[in-house]
Amino acid sequence: MPTATRKCWLTFEGGHQNEPCLWKMSRKYPDVSFDIRQASVQKDIGIMAVLFKGPEEDVQAALDYLIELGVKVDPVEGGSNVSG
Amino acid sequence: MSFVKALRCKECGADYGIEPRTVCDSDFGPVEVAFDYEAMKGKVTRASIAAGPQSLWRYRDLLPIEGEPKAGLNSGWTPLVRAKRLAAELGVKELYIKDDSVNYPTFSYKDRVVAVALTKAMEFGFDTVGCASTGNLAHSVAAHAAAAGVRACVMIPHDLEAGKMVGMTVFGPRVVRIRGNYDDVNRLCSQIADKYKWAIVNVNLRPYYTEGAKTHGFEIAEQLGWRLPQHTVVPVAGGTILPKIWKAYQEFITLGLVQDNKPRMYGAQAQGCNPVVKAIQEGQDLFHPQKPNTIAKSIAIGNPADGYYVIKVVNESGGYGASATDPEIIDAIKLLARTEGIFTEPAGGTTLACAIKLIQSGRIPKDESICVSITGNGLKTLEVMQGQFEEVPVIGAKLSDFDAAMNEPTPGNAPWKAAEPAAARA
Repeated sequence: MPTATRKCWLTFEGGHQNEPCLWKMSRKYPDVSFDIRQASVQKDIGIMAVLFKGPEEDVQAALDYLIELGVKVDPVEGGSNVSG
Repeated sequence: MSFVKALRCKECGADYGIEPRTVCDSDFGPVEVAFDYEAMKGKVTRASIAAGPQSLWRYRDLLPIEGEPKAGLNSGWTPLVRAKRLAAELGVKELYIKDDSVNYPTFSYKDRVVAVALTKAMEFGFDTVGCASTGNLAHSVAAHAAAAGVRACVMIPHDLEAGKMVGMTVFGPRVVRIRGNYDDVNRLCSQIADKYKWAIVNVNLRPYYTEGAKTHGFEIAEQLGWRLPQHTVVPVAGGTILPKIWKAYQEFITLGLVQDNKPRMYGAQAQGCNPVVKAIQEGQDLFHPQKPNTIAKSIAIGNPADGYYVIKVVNESGGYGASATDPEIIDAIKLLARTEGIFTEPAGGTTLACAIKLIQSGRIPKDESICVSITGNGLKTLEVMQGQFEEVPVIGAKLSDFDAAMNEPTPGNAPWKAAEPAAARA
């Protein structure tokens, strides 16, 4: 399966900033690596810049899973193929 | 010769070459153009600028182009109006309106950023330019592209005002209406730029595009007699212009062209879309994206690309933020029109309404110099003002009918005092 790299901004709010969403994602999709490049977390909002790598289908499924968990997933400009 | 050094990450400071790039590879932070100010000293002077054309290109040494300007040769150099009648109404001493409602050729501040971005797109060799737009940017991209003979494709939200649709279609671009709000359009444009290899001016050419906004700030300083206003109130949409006016002020200070009087920057947003102002007022560094709901569509951006930097600059300068309700925006449009003869769109109404709030709350002292940035023209959004004035009655074509009409209360934007005929005064 071809591998994919996705650069994303993740926004955690509405209580999701206090949940281990990335850990959950990692347990469910162990072949998808995540590399946190920048992060700022405050009381009621958290924003992270994350680089995801792995088999293309798994990366997409992992991002969809984060969206399902309530995380807002935005492509970094120039990126693509992020649903939600 | 160009004074451009590199594209530099605003977060980590990593440098990149001059290329179509928006973010840093390392931390995904936005990149911006870095200049060699040391090399400029003694070469970029008040005299050298004043000797330039009466357009934004008089500041070309401080803009990121390599060769000759290729677009917007008549853009910029809009009036800085000393607003004495408005100042009297508000009880302030020194008030200026930087009036980009008459910018050339499409009557908004966007003509500045597009002039630079289109020139850069042509330098890079792109054959198609485009944008994600709330209206004004699409007008400007379409007009500049038409004049330069470049293919244009503009992407807009489906619910733009009818007048704004006409104002872009007439220039002959490919117009794509997208079901969704501006933020949805912007997200799609990132993918379009990537796939089609087009120059989407506010996406993959954003670092160059935003530098054009500095010229609004350069002009304020130069037209004010090479000094800075102590307080500058600016609308916040995507968050481009406020940090760039600040950058312009800082560049002029660095070059010794103006004195550092510790200028303060203030952000203005509509209450129905005020993520940045809310964060400023709550003392937060980050903002919560919002779903816009306001008549001020041109600034209805719920997830501003540069919102974080607006908050940073406002706080660094010691300024603040305010937001205005739709009725307050309408009232401010009327006030500016009847006191200064300037008809602005809701974005300008928002800015003035917020300036009034900041003055009335004591955030902006009444005895210091204030500049309000007006960025768009009211003739583009006539729908917003429809129903704001009573219908004007029709009278007969006789002098007696006119006499009778003069004794009636008159619909309009100002109280009418019945004047006696000249013969009666004599």
